[in-house]
Amino acid sequence: MVANINEIQSAAAALLNEGKVKLVLGYRVRGNDRVPAFVTQADQVGCLAYDSACTQNLAAYLRKGEVRSRMPLAVVARPEVMRSLMLLTAESQIAEGQVTVLAVDEQGFHGVLDLAGTAKLLNEQYARIAPDSSLMEQLAKIEAMTPQERSAFWSEQFEPCTRCYACRAACPGCFCERCIVEMNTPQWISTAAESHGNFAWHMIRAFHQAGRCVECGACQDACPQGIPLMLLNHFIAREVEREFDARSGYDPQAEPVIGSWKQDDKQEYIR
Amino acid sequence: MTQATTQTETKAEGFEPRIVAFVCNWCTYAGADLAGTSRLQYAPHVRIVKLPCTGRIDPLFILKAYEGGADAVLVSGCHPGDCHYTSGNYHARRRWTIFRRLLSLAGVEEGRLFFSWVSAAEGQKFADLINDVTAQVKAAGPFKHNPARRQAW
Repeated sequence: MVANINEIQSAAAALLNEGKVKLVLGYRVRGNDRVPAFVTQADQVGCLAYDSACTQNLAAYLRKGEVRSRMPLAVVARPEVMRSLMLLTAESQIAEGQVTVLAVDEQGFHGVLDLAGTAKLLNEQYARIAPDSSLMEQLAKIEAMTPQERSAFWSEQFEPCTRCYACRAACPGCFCERCIVEMNTPQWISTAAESHGNFAWHMIRAFHQAGRCVECGACQDACPQGIPLMLLNHFIAREVEREFDARSGYDPQAEPVIGSWKQDDKQEYIR
Repeated sequence: MTQATTQTETKAEGFEPRIVAFVCNWCTYAGADLAGTSRLQYAPHVRIVKLPCTGRIDPLFILKAYEGGADAVLVSGCHPGDCHYTSGNYHARRRWTIFRRLLSLAGVEEGRLFFSWVSAAEGQKFADLINDVTAQVKAAGPFKHNPARRQAW
C-alpha cells in the first residue's frame, strides 16, 4: 500500500464534508483484488485504498448515468487516468467544476486538483510517460515479420476473442451510446463465432483509439482472454505522434486528431 | 482453420482479380465517367462503389471489402482543395494515414490497398490508374493471407 493513504482519505472526507463533491470514486481492497469504491459519506472514506495494483481506469465510470447524476464528484487518478480526464474534457464529456482530481502516483498523493490544475500537473510532471519497453520490443519484432507472418500472428492472438467487449467497457474513451458493433443494418462487425468478426472488431477498436488512447492498459487488464490489446494501442499512439505530432490527454482543449486536419498533412502514399 | 477455396484461388492460373474501388461522387466518379465517355479502354476488374465524398468512406467499408474477398481495395477522391464539401478529403486523408498503417501491422500486405486523387477532368489518369492497379494485383496473385477474409465453413 502506498504511503499517504491517510492523506487521500482525509482529502476525500474534507471534499464530502464541505459539500464540494457528492461522490468520491476510488479504490478499495477486496481479497487480492482492487475494486472501485463509490464513497458518498465522509464516514466511509476509511475503505479507500491505493497501490500499484489499482489499474482500473475509473474515468470509465464518468459515462454512467448513475455516476453522472452525482456530479460534482472526485476521482482518485493516476497520471494515465488524469490523461483520460483531459481527453474527456477535450471531447466535451466532462467540464470544469464537475470533476475534482485526487492526484496519485507510485510516490504517493499529490493533492486535490481541478481540471485546469490537473492539466498543469500532467504537463509539468508527466509530460513523458515512457511506454513499457517490452511492448516496444514486441512491436519491433512484429514489424520485422513478413505480412504473412503478421497475419498469422494476429489471427492467433484474436482467435480466443469471444467479443465480450470487456475492453470497450473498461475504456473511458468508449463512451458512444450506440457503438458500431451493435449496429445491424448493415451489420458491420459480424457477431458469428468466426475470425472475420474478431479481426474487424480489433481493427476498428484500435482505429477508434487513434489520437485518443492514453495507454492506461485498462482494456488489456479487463480482457478475459489475454489478448495483447496494448500492442495495437501503443502502435496507434506511436503512429499518431509520428504523423501528426499529437499525444492524447495532455491538452483539455485539444482538437481531435481524427476529425481535424491540416492542408499539409503528409500524403506520399496517395497517387 | 480452413482456408476458403475461393473462386479466385482455383483460377489462379488465369487470375482475374477482384478490386473494389470506393470513390467520391464529385471527382473520381466523374473522372471514371469521363474515361467512359472518352471511350478509354481500361481493365474491367474494378467494382466501383460511389459515395458522396471520401469523407464518407469509413474504414469499415475497406474491412468489409476484404472480408468479402476483395484482392485489393482502391480509394479515390478529389484532389486536396477540390472537395465539393470543402474538407471531406482532408478528413479522409488523416484517417487513411493511420488506418493503412494499422492494416499493414495486422498483415495486409503492400499492394492490396491503393489511394489516389482523380479529378473530374482526369479521365486518362483514371484509366491509367485502374490499369496499373490491376496489373499490380494480377502480378501479386490472389490475396491468400487476407486476415480479414470471411472463412468458408
